[in-house]
This record gives sequence, structure tokens and C-alpha cells, in this order.
Amino acid sequence: MRPAARIIGAILLTLSVVVVARAQTRTTIAAASDLQFALKEVEAAFEADGHPAVDLVFGSSGTLAKQIQDGAPFEVFMSADESYVQTLVTAGLTKDGGVLYAVGRVVVFAPTGSPLQPDPELKNLAALLAKGGVTRFAIANPEHAPYGRAAEAVLRKRGLWDRLQPMLVLGENITQAAQFATTGNAVGGIIAYSLVLSPALKDRGTFALLPESDHAPLRQRMVRLKKAGAAADAFYAFVQSAKARPILTKYGFALPGQ
Amino acid sequence: MDWTALGVSLRLAAGTLAILLPLAIALGRVLAYRRFRGRSILEAVVALPLVLPPTVLGFYLLISFGARSAVGQAFAAIAGHSLAFSFQGLLLASLIANLPFTVQPIQRAFEAIPTNVRDAAACCGLTPWRAFRAIELPLAWPGLVTAAVLAFAHTLGEFGVVLMIGGSLPGQTRTISIAIYDRLQAFDEHAAGVMAATLLAIALGALVITQTLARRVGRSSE
Amino acid sequence: MSDAVSIDVRVRADAPIPLDVALAAGPRDVAAVFGPSGAGKTTLLRTIAGLHRQATGRIVCRGVTWLDTDRGVCLPPHERRLGFVAQDYGLFPHLDALHHVAIALGHLPRDQRRAEAARLLALVHLESSASRRPASLSGGEQQRLAIARAIARNPHVLLLDEPFAAVDRATRRALQDELDALRHRLDMPIVLVTHDFEDVIRLASHVTLLERGHVVAAGAVGEITSRVDLPWLAAAAGRGSVFTASVDRVDERRKLADLRFDGGTLIVPAGSLTSGRYVRVRVPAREIILATSRPEGLSLHNILEGRVSGLESDERSGVVIVQIAVGETHLLAEVTGDAVDRLAIAIGRPILALIKSVAIEVG
Repeated sequence: MRPAARIIGAILLTLSVVVVARAQTRTTIAAASDLQFALKEVEAAFEADGHPAVDLVFGSSGTLAKQIQDGAPFEVFMSADESYVQTLVTAGLTKDGGVLYAVGRVVVFAPTGSPLQPDPELKNLAALLAKGGVTRFAIANPEHAPYGRAAEAVLRKRGLWDRLQPMLVLGENITQAAQFATTGNAVGGIIAYSLVLSPALKDRGTFALLPESDHAPLRQRMVRLKKAGAAADAFYAFVQSAKARPILTKYGFALPGQ
Repeated sequence: MDWTALGVSLRLAAGTLAILLPLAIALGRVLAYRRFRGRSILEAVVALPLVLPPTVLGFYLLISFGARSAVGQAFAAIAGHSLAFSFQGLLLASLIANLPFTVQPIQRAFEAIPTNVRDAAACCGLTPWRAFRAIELPLAWPGLVTAAVLAFAHTLGEFGVVLMIGGSLPGQTRTISIAIYDRLQAFDEHAAGVMAATLLAIALGALVITQTLARRVGRSSE
Repeated sequence: MSDAVSIDVRVRADAPIPLDVALAAGPRDVAAVFGPSGAGKTTLLRTIAGLHRQATGRIVCRGVTWLDTDRGVCLPPHERRLGFVAQDYGLFPHLDALHHVAIALGHLPRDQRRAEAARLLALVHLESSASRRPASLSGGEQQRLAIARAIARNPHVLLLDEPFAAVDRATRRALQDELDALRHRLDMPIVLVTHDFEDVIRLASHVTLLERGHVVAAGAVGEITSRVDLPWLAAAAGRGSVFTASVDRVDERRKLADLRFDGGTLIVPAGSLTSGRYVRVRVPAREIILATSRPEGLSLHNILEGRVSGLESDERSGVVIVQIAVGETHLLAEVTGDAVDRLAIAIGRPILALIKSVAIEVG
């Protein structure tokens, strides 16, 4: 027995919920996780500069690109590489081809108390591995995180990839990898330079910058999506402006033209 | 404490209850009282979200309602925005995920009403609607509250599906569980801890309520 | 002639429980349906109530067609003007007694319901329990409440399913008396399902014998109980004719009472009988001694003159059932075949029935 009143009531409620839920959304920027701290500061400067606030959503570049393809309403996409931007351009979802906004670096990181001593050639890691002293080692998932791809390249270059395989923990994105690297269960990991320079991670351990020649350059490209509005355009321009550049440099990014 | 995120979670839970409870009452009653072919299949379908990993649900939702699907595009044409990565999309996912949490307790509650009580109600001259309101509903009440509390708590804690089809949009799809995840990734353990403790308290409260209700036989009413 | 029929039932079913019954009851009849477990009694009752929908046939109650399979009519229970008391009553656990009855008074305006509910509770002597819930009522009280609820909407027929099965003997007598008193105040037939023949003896005016869904015999109680055949009934309930008598005179000193019926007078122990009452009498067939001449010097009080009106031999046991017409009433006596031969008992012959006072069951 289906009391008709209940059905009507349910429909009315649905409508009201739909109406209510359509709250005012602000411009949303999708950014690669390595920008977790840097972009927050840029956004604060953006607001201080008299612009309306924008929302930041972080994730791995590959995941964000997929979400955009599935209809996520981001207006600017700041990838940690160029290929994911290209995918969107090819799919016709962007206003233009985008612009290079930064070049990133990776570091090897060891939390305080870890047996690992970070060095640029990963010699200590190799030695530790030989001794059987590596419990777990954290990197971002190479499948969809550019920083993970870079980590894999470095490890392969040093001949450590195959032996390290069983001990790898893969972070969903580079911040999750950093999480794993700092929680103490892992001896360390290869994470983003921009993350270790942040106040949150600065005092949690030691790191060594890995040579750029060990991996393909982390050329980070950003692009505006078709739906980008005025606020998005403004932010897009702001990131490239002189006001934002010092912040990016502070977080270890190399800027285009340097 | 991310109040916006809590607000999204509460709106999601409230919306789920508002739509799902009447449906669950109707469906639970049919499953409790009618014998028909395909009844077991229907019960299995209802129970499915219990055993399905949220990623499976998220996957199928993306395929069926994402921007690349026919339904998704139709919705976008009407509503002006995509179904995935919107509050409405979360609501839809939540309705599906909470189906067993609402239908099953309600179905059990209706089943627990002795047949001779329902027969007596009919023989008293009570129309099916009056019998439902005056006899069945009061007797099934504890089951209804259990369903509401379970669905509420479960929605508050929903994570996997929201992660897959939500996009963590503040004010829209960034629920409190996503916010916790977010804060952790930003190494803001304090904020994450506050929100986690809040959710824990809510979950405990929900369980205490359902346990207390499970002991009650019925409720007086007219 | 059949304007006296309040409810007319004719139903058939093959599965899940076989049924093939025709039953009718007039305004003040108490129609008992008697049979062993599994006979289909409850199914029949539920079919009449509309709770069991698998049977086909026709049910008409006071001119309203409740069921007519040929014309596709099948009213749901709440549209049938009936009162139904199931074996375990089906009381509403969450309502107190007053609300139980009030909820069935939907045909009255709101403000009148309380008063009417109170009146009905008083009718079944439950006025002091108005605010109590079923869980705190005794078995007998629960049954009375179920009956009060059932008659609240002035039904055209009252259906009772094994109403006394769940109560003890003492309570059963009291409830039977109450039901008997009640039905004289109500103008509706009662259809009473039972597997205890005592209920039939005590309350019924008519009885339908049901076995495996089929009617073995049906008719007035007095007539059915004094039939020489029906070994089935004999096995189920024992043989003994049932009839109504009035208490003529009570002798306090000798502690004896006179029961007058159309065949004569019976003397029984006075017990708690009062003059002027109508009582049901059952004379077990085994307690009747037959004589062709009036004996002297015997302790028994009752010697009735009658005529042999029927004979039936029970091959298995060698017992012969003799039906004796005493006035309009028929008595049954069980004697040996040898006795029949010795006394040359044959149909039409005058005979004397000797009955011990204490053997007579008075209800």
C-alpha cells in the first residue's frame, strides 16, 4: 500500500532540497598536490590584492584531469606536468593551450629518527637497502602523479627501483606520499621540494635535493577551462604576475624565464 | 573545525533522510507483507550497497551520470551543471548507499507486527491507510527511528563514494569526512583531529540511540 | 422463510487447504463449526472474514454480497460489516483498553467515541481496566476486550475462532456464560469455531461438523447430537443428546431440581440452579439404561417413557445405538447387541429410558 501523500511529500522535499543545495559557489581552482602550501599563500596574496576569494582543491594531476573530463566544475587546472593539460586541450575542454607556470623539484626525505641519511645520489638508501634496513619507502603513485613518475625515474636511474618495489608505499598524490614519509612507518620517501620547504614539514626531518638530470623535468602547466569566469582569469594572471613569483620561488619552484 | 563541510554533511544527511525514509517505509512494507516473484531479488538488490565497495558504486555512478554519459549530459542541459561533482550527485549516491540501512530495519519492524494484529485491524473496519497510521506505524516506530539514525550516521561518514564523484568542492561536495582527509594532507593534524572526534561522538551517539530503541517493544499512541 | 438468514456462506477451495462448505445462520443463531485440527475451520472463518482470499464461492450477509467469485466481487475485510476474534485475539500492544474499542468506532463522530467505548467496556465488565494495556490483562480479560472491540461497530455477524482455547477451565465457564448473556443482547449471528464439543453443547444452536474441509453433517444441535449415525462425531465428542430445558422447581431440602423439557421432567442435583432459568442438558448415551418394564427399588430418579425411533449397529465394538423419541426430543442410548436381542428392541416399540441424576450434564 503506497500512501499517495508520502510520495507527494517526498517529491516536494526533493525539490526543496535541490533548490536549497544550489548555494552560491565560488570559483574553484584544481591544483596539483605539490602546490598544497605554496598556492595557499598565493591565494592569500590574491585576496590581499583586492580580489574575491577563490576555492582551492588539491589532488594528483591525473585524478584532477579525469574529474574535469567527467564534468567537475573547476575553472582553472594547475597540473604538475604538461601531459595532463594536453589531454584536456585535445578533448576541447580548455580555453587555450595553457601556460607554463613553474618547474618543480623532488627531494629524498627522511623523518627524524629514521636510519636513512638523505644524499643526492641515494647512496645511503642503497646501503640501507643492502643491509635490509628499509621497511617502507614512500613515493606518489606514478600512474597519475607526475611527482611519482619523477620518483620512479630517479630510482631507476640509481638502479634501486626493482629492489625497492616490495617496500614501496604509493601515495594517492604527493601530499599523501609526504604523509606516509613522515609518519615514521616508512624510512623516508621521494617527495616534492615545495612540500619540505613548508613550515609543516620543515622540522620533521632532513632532505636532500635530487639532481634534475635524474628525471624528466617537472614542467608544471596550468590552463583555464572553458567555463572559466572573470575571477578565474584574474587568478590565472595573478599566478604569473610579479606578486606571486616570490612566493613560488620561496617554495623551491623554478620559474619560466629563469 | 570546517563548519562549511559540517554543513554540507548535515544537509546531505537531512536530504537523504527526507527522501529515503518515505520510500523505505513503502518499500519495507511491501517486502514485509507481499509475497511476489522476484522478492528475493529485490531484497538482494536492496542489500547490495552493504557489501559493495564504495568505489564500485562510485565507478558506476560516474559511468552512468558523468559528463560523458547520456544521462549526465541531459541533466547538465536541464540543471546547468553536471550531476557528478555536485551536491545533487552526492545526494543520489547517498540515497543508493543508504538503501539497506533504511529499508532493512523498517522491513524487520513491519515483519515483527504479528499477522493477527493486522488482521484484527482490518476486521475492526480500519481502512488500510488508517490501519497503517494508527496500528502499524506506532508499532514499527522503533525500526523507523533505527533506520533514520543509521542512515544519518552513515551519511555523515560516507567517504569512498564522495571521494570518487564529489571533487571536494567547498560548500558543495566537501563533506566533513573529506575535510578530515584534506586537513591530513595539509598536515593540519589538529583540525583533522577535532573533526574526527566530532564524527566519532556522533557515531557513538547514533549507536546508543539504536541500542536503546532495540529494547523497546512499542510505543503508545492513538 | 429464509428472510431469517443473516449470513449465507457457500465456498470452495482446492489449495492450499481444501474447503467445500455451505453454511447459513439466522439472526440469533450461534452456529458452531466443529472438527479436529486441520479440518479447515479456521480457514473457513478467515474466508468469511475476507482474510483468506483463495476460496471461491458466494457469501452474502444481510443482503450485502461479500464474495461472489462469478461476478468478481470480493470485499476486503474492512468493508465487511463483521466482528472477528482470532484465537490469540490480535490485540494492539500499544493501545489501552479504551482506545482498543474507540479505534473501531470510526463510524461515530470523534466526540462520541469515548463514551461509546466506555459503554462497550462496561458491557463486558472491563470498565475498571479502561487504561490498561493488553500485556497487563489476564487471559479472560483479553478475550473480553477482543470481543468488545469486535462488536464495537455493530457488526452483522460475529466470528469467533476457538475463543476459549487459551483459558483455563474455570475461566472458560465464566466466559461461556458471559458470551451467552451477551448474545441475547445482540441481534447478530455468531459463527463459532471450536474443537471442543463442550463449547458446542454450551453455546451453539446449530453445528456444522467439518472434516478435511468437507461438511460431514449440519443442523440444529439437538438434532445432530441425537442422530444414531455419525460415528465420526461419536469418536470426537462422545455420544449424548443435547437439548434445552427450563428449571421448574428447586427443592432446597432434598437438594434436587426439576428440569422440564418437551419430553418430560428430569430430576437432577440442584447445584447452583435457580428456578426459571433455561439450561442446556446433555445426556451421555452411556448413562441410559433401557427397560421394557418399570423397575422397582432402584436408586435412580429418572424414568422416561418413549418410543424407539432408530437403531444403528456399530460393527466394530458390538455396541448398538438406540434412538428414543421422548416427546419431540430424541435421546441416544448405547447398549450391547445382546441386550437388544434379549429385550427384543425394535423400531416403533415403546421403551423406558432410565437415567441417573448425577449423570446428566447441566450447563
